[in-house]
Amino acid sequence: MSKMRDKKELQRVTNCALCADMCKYSCPTYLAAGNETISPQKIARLIVYEDKGFIEDRRGFSDVMFQSCMCGACKRHCIYSDYDLRKFIQMGRSKAFKEGLLPDETKKRVETFTKYGNPQGERQLIQKGTGSVGYFVSCSAYKDEKLLKAMDRILSASKGKVQQFGGADICCGAPLYYAGDIKEFRKVAKKLKGEIEARGLEKVITMCPNCLKMMKEAYPEAGVKLNVQLAHTSEFLASLLDEGKIRVRKAKGTATYHDPCILANDMNITEAPRRILTALGYKINEPVYTRDHTHCCGAPPGARLGFSKLADQVKSMRISELKQTGADVYVSSCPSCKAVLSDMAVKDIAELISEHMIHGK
Amino acid sequence: MNVKTWLSERADAPPAFINEAKRIVGKDNVSAKECDLIAYSLDYWMYGVFLSQYGSLPSLPSVVISPRNREEIQAILKCANKYKVQITPFGGGSGVLGGAIPLKGSAILNLQRMNRFISLDEKSLVAEFESGIIGANLELELNHRGYSMGSIPQSLYCSTLGGWISTRAVGQFSTKYGKIEDMVLGMEVVLPDGSLLDIKPVPRRSTGPSLKDLFLGGEGTLGIVTKAVVSVHPVPALSSRQSFAFPSTEMALEAVRKTLRADARPAVVRIFDELEAERYFGTKKVTVIFISEGEPDFVRPESSLISRIAEKHGGSPQGENPVEIWLKKRFDIGLGPTIMQQGGIVDTIEVVSLHKDAANLYKDMMTSMRAVTGSLLVSGHFSHFYREGACLYITFVGFPTDPYRYYEDTWKAAMEATLRNNGSISHHHGIGMWRMRFMEQELGKEGVELLRRIKSAFDPNGILNRGKLVENAR
Repeated sequence: MSKMRDKKELQRVTNCALCADMCKYSCPTYLAAGNETISPQKIARLIVYEDKGFIEDRRGFSDVMFQSCMCGACKRHCIYSDYDLRKFIQMGRSKAFKEGLLPDETKKRVETFTKYGNPQGERQLIQKGTGSVGYFVSCSAYKDEKLLKAMDRILSASKGKVQQFGGADICCGAPLYYAGDIKEFRKVAKKLKGEIEARGLEKVITMCPNCLKMMKEAYPEAGVKLNVQLAHTSEFLASLLDEGKIRVRKAKGTATYHDPCILANDMNITEAPRRILTALGYKINEPVYTRDHTHCCGAPPGARLGFSKLADQVKSMRISELKQTGADVYVSSCPSCKAVLSDMAVKDIAELISEHMIHGK
Repeated sequence: MNVKTWLSERADAPPAFINEAKRIVGKDNVSAKECDLIAYSLDYWMYGVFLSQYGSLPSLPSVVISPRNREEIQAILKCANKYKVQITPFGGGSGVLGGAIPLKGSAILNLQRMNRFISLDEKSLVAEFESGIIGANLELELNHRGYSMGSIPQSLYCSTLGGWISTRAVGQFSTKYGKIEDMVLGMEVVLPDGSLLDIKPVPRRSTGPSLKDLFLGGEGTLGIVTKAVVSVHPVPALSSRQSFAFPSTEMALEAVRKTLRADARPAVVRIFDELEAERYFGTKKVTVIFISEGEPDFVRPESSLISRIAEKHGGSPQGENPVEIWLKKRFDIGLGPTIMQQGGIVDTIEVVSLHKDAANLYKDMMTSMRAVTGSLLVSGHFSHFYREGACLYITFVGFPTDPYRYYEDTWKAAMEATLRNNGSISHHHGIGMWRMRFMEQELGKEGVELLRRIKSAFDPNGILNRGKLVENAR
């Protein structure tokens, strides 16, 4: 007997469970681990089985739910339109949260969040500048000094009126969302909405693709609607270059761009960062898995895999794929990807612009 | 465990075997967790998939073992011989005849960790891959470098190179690029006793019977392919697409036969009967699509030749649109799960015959399969062509009161019609577990007995994929 209230939803995930796994070739966790159990169709089968009471090992089931990196590759390559397995994985995570079955690593992060209002612990408030455009400093960018300085330089050179805000207990709530704590996530979403409104912002730019996804997709699902325009920094920075608000000297050499999974799969932003690289003078060396075939780096901040060994496998696979291009520079546009791929010195696209910026007329 | 098994009972593997396996591949790569056993219980055998929605699985493995390399596979097979543990190799799990179902609690040997691109030799036009690589990943690696293997089965996104080899698979572009046996030049195989056979890649050899061919269609009963060297082609510079409507399947078959006789080798040739043409293209006319590809200097005259012969034999040109529609829809298997959820049975059967028998085989199969109680729809297309004959691919759907009876009777009707018309019972899906009951009619008693003896010689302890390919083989 199914416990899922919406029978249409049950039919949709059952379709997935009865499919031939036509999207598994795109799933980075499946490919990195070589494990059928975490292929999208098998996850769907387990979700249907759990719903119908066929699973006894509840801990084992919960563990599988936390082995997805939630990157959206399966959605992107699904034969069914308008279906997203992650919605059902989220339901599985919510159950795990309610039943106290979170993996230890996820549990620790939720505890930190509960104590400090962010996943990192005690933090200073960031509040700089004025204006109706806000640059939201994500948790992943907060601890990256180079990145903070680079954005400072760019914003100052562009002479635009941009407020920078973040740090302290200002967070989008992604860690709670992905941990399945939807009740607290809603509270955090409302808090951020309040922070945005208190600053009188009309447009918010985020560097972290997961923050953008939360604000664009997860907040409305949780009943929180932000009345502001939302954009990713790569789009904002590309427009500064297009409009001549910052000037750069041309580089020589090759660059490989790593598409952050959420940015490519959910936000459909793949060309703005490439436009920037071309504007900077780089020849782009594409890896095999790029744009809509990009692979997750293994640890986006909100969706961080509940299992660090698996995250390391996904990371190693991605590093190996990127290194094959032999480019002079490796670039991404997500602070988490930059941190995770630090073994190969990936730069954020903002840092690269900052390095090439020409001051004055 | 709350799931039911209906084909064979699960049995535990000996603890000593599991301990040794953990030592060989690492404890994280040996699992008997419920979720893992469920995930590896079934491939894409449609009757098994149908029942799986009710929590009923054909069988569950005793344990799942995931090696990283050939050496680990060798050690695991030696260990399996020592403890007499049966092993079921598991590639992509996309086989449609139950070839990867772990019968009688055998242990799963998961090959999906061995999924790397190894090398490309542009001078010789060959590339080497580990056998667990999924077809789509193989193609992405090659396409990035300007090449393609040209093996594009409907299961491209979920089947592996090792699976293609083991089932003697064929892709949709086979008329130009050949079948898997034409593409594999060399391979590395771990034999059931754990020893290694390395068949070096050369275009051809005259060194006695071809050992390579024992594993092309071996279905994991004679050895485990760990690496293979395959032929590749530069990504075609031009792709020419055309289609024609015909008054009948017979006339379409005749036109295609004449086209191949005139030495045209389009990559894709497919004849869709009225029902399939309606489903794909919204027309009730038998439709033939052609894709010619390669160097423009060859493609253009070939396209003209095809057009001239097709029109001469009653074909009326339909332009590129039907081909574009087919290219868009060819991997969409979305209807099957929807039908199954409504209690329907759906499956496909592919057979092959000479040209002289092709039209009769089509008619007989249609009539025989439609006569089975519970049948709702039987449709067909010819999907692969040779100068000498063609592969007929049938889709059937039924809403019977007794699903197993309907499934079994429909298969029986299809196989008997094939044999009556001098056809072979499988063109490219293989035998697995489900189709092996027809092997004696296909090969004769002597043929089946010979396969049994080969199996016994390779695998005296009956370790590898027992209960598949031929009945009662050790």
